[in-house]
Amino acid sequence: MSEGLYSLMLRLYPAQFRVRYADAAMELFRDRSRDEVGFIARLRLWLDITRDLAISLPKAYWQAQPALAAQATEMPLPTPGFQVLPSTGLRRLAFFYAVTASLLMFGSLFLWVGYGRNQLMTMASAYRAEPKMHAHASAPAPTAEWTTIESRESSERASLAIAATQAAAGSRPGEAKVMNATEAMVEAIGAHQIVMFGEAHANKQEYEWLCELVKTPAFAERVDDIVVEFGNSLYQKTVDRYIAGEDVPVEQVQKAWRNMIGAVGPVSPVYGWFYKAVRESNLERHGGHKIRLLLGDPYGDWEKINNAEGLGPYVAHRDQWYAQVVKDEVLAQHHRALLIMGAGHFLRRGGPGAVEQVIRAGGVQPYLVVLGTNVVGGYDDLDRRFDSWPLPAIAALSGNWVGDLPAMPVVSGGLAAPNSLKMADAADAMLYLGPRDALMAVNVPRIELVDTAYGKEIARRLMIQTGREMLFTQEPETPQFQKPAQQTIGQGVGARHAPPNPPKSINDPLPPRPPSQ
Amino acid sequence: MPKRKLDPLPSAAFQILLSLVDGDLHGYAIMRQVEEQTNGRMRLGPGTLYSSIQALLDEGLIEEIGPGSRSQGAAERRRLYRLTSSGRKLARSEAERLADLLRVARTKNILRGEHV
Repeated sequence: MSEGLYSLMLRLYPAQFRVRYADAAMELFRDRSRDEVGFIARLRLWLDITRDLAISLPKAYWQAQPALAAQATEMPLPTPGFQVLPSTGLRRLAFFYAVTASLLMFGSLFLWVGYGRNQLMTMASAYRAEPKMHAHASAPAPTAEWTTIESRESSERASLAIAATQAAAGSRPGEAKVMNATEAMVEAIGAHQIVMFGEAHANKQEYEWLCELVKTPAFAERVDDIVVEFGNSLYQKTVDRYIAGEDVPVEQVQKAWRNMIGAVGPVSPVYGWFYKAVRESNLERHGGHKIRLLLGDPYGDWEKINNAEGLGPYVAHRDQWYAQVVKDEVLAQHHRALLIMGAGHFLRRGGPGAVEQVIRAGGVQPYLVVLGTNVVGGYDDLDRRFDSWPLPAIAALSGNWVGDLPAMPVVSGGLAAPNSLKMADAADAMLYLGPRDALMAVNVPRIELVDTAYGKEIARRLMIQTGREMLFTQEPETPQFQKPAQQTIGQGVGARHAPPNPPKSINDPLPPRPPSQ
Repeated sequence: MPKRKLDPLPSAAFQILLSLVDGDLHGYAIMRQVEEQTNGRMRLGPGTLYSSIQALLDEGLIEEIGPGSRSQGAAERRRLYRLTSSGRKLARSEAERLADLLRVARTKNILRGEHV
């Protein structure tokens, strides 16, 4: 309770201060709370904290001014209305009035958003938990595609560090303020305990950027865990050793992503890039803070799965297992984490998805970023306003034209038709990596599939998952969002077709977890 | 010439410099040290403490020593701060300025009892 309240108070500080000192300030608060027990001591602590807030807040904003100005000159933003701060600074009295007014306004807002709203959401989640599980169990079986999209409930929005920074940078109503994507993620992970990223699977530009992100010291020093969809939990122990820098043969490590339960067809090499990047990030910061890669895919063992009945329980509980990993390894440990999963799992379709519900029930408001494109209607309906965005970019979605765009075509590259879901309802921010037609998916080289043990194993799995044979047609790279007429499932799997009937075991609970390998 | 952030040196910043004279400390230890050296009159809150630390870092009066590894305990993972030679020089100069003030106050007989 006390920590939550102080955490809200910390949000009043400028983003620069929070990014650098929020954790330390919280740690100091915890230390004092631990050492100063009893009514009088606690009263004195809160008096100190309140007085400290009143004194230090203007100072923190005052110190933030030059950096904001510097940032403004560095960012090649396309919009002419961007305000560069005057070199003479503000009059102290004017600044004092502005801070006081902001304190009153934002204090009320944050208390409402962070507390009242969160309490309501927690109660709502608890109320919905049982029916949701039941509904899931009796629902038609999910398709074996790992881009499966599930139904979502109730809507809400989080107030964001990026939005605050953009507001501070002087955006006009309706304008989208874009930030350098890496800087935006550093801000986000500083301001939010959990940042969720909804990815487009196998995307080259996306994973090039993610690899750069995890090697960015300001990000790497802040994030404790990265929870990924593209890793079978069965291999957590092996991956822990690899990520920690031990010599682990690649054949062992790659089982983590190649043996995913959720994958259909050969698994893109981009995931191997990412594992390697996290390992290198830890090694480069020798003796520093270590990132842990947590595997969120269910622990089904493909060596023991011989038919659809054996696969069913694992496929049916992919979101639930991922959420369990987040609950046990991140929330229970009070860690700061980046969560990566297909955008279809994370999108808020009328409300938070299964994973986000668990996070919110744990009292944490996550920040959701999804990959978006410049497609805003039909497949060829491109929005030229994105052309001037610097790359890679992230823009918060609340209160601007990007947030008003129909979410489905934007996140699917025009493959899904628009409906009533707006971007601002579906996520908090959008990652933009370039025009839809420039985005490429990276495929497993044909030479690694034809007449190889891996190729034969993938063909066997495909038969279990889809009842179809694999077609070795893919190029090393293919357009991420091909026109529907050219569309294929996964990587060279063949033309899109209806999924097979679900196995009966789809309603079974997850089997007990075996020891990690 | 731009005005320096710490000119004049705020009381909190001076106390932080003094707290670091005997060795490197992390944020909470600085807060406790300041409380002790001011007989409980100054308890730096997190906002004041870290704003002051940032200003001192910007002016090169203290330096940050990176946190330890995750394998170490929580206390060892915290950022430590160290007084630089410029910081020590400024602390000495500020102490001398205050000593001068004290001498003036004494000559004016405005101090009483044990403080004289």
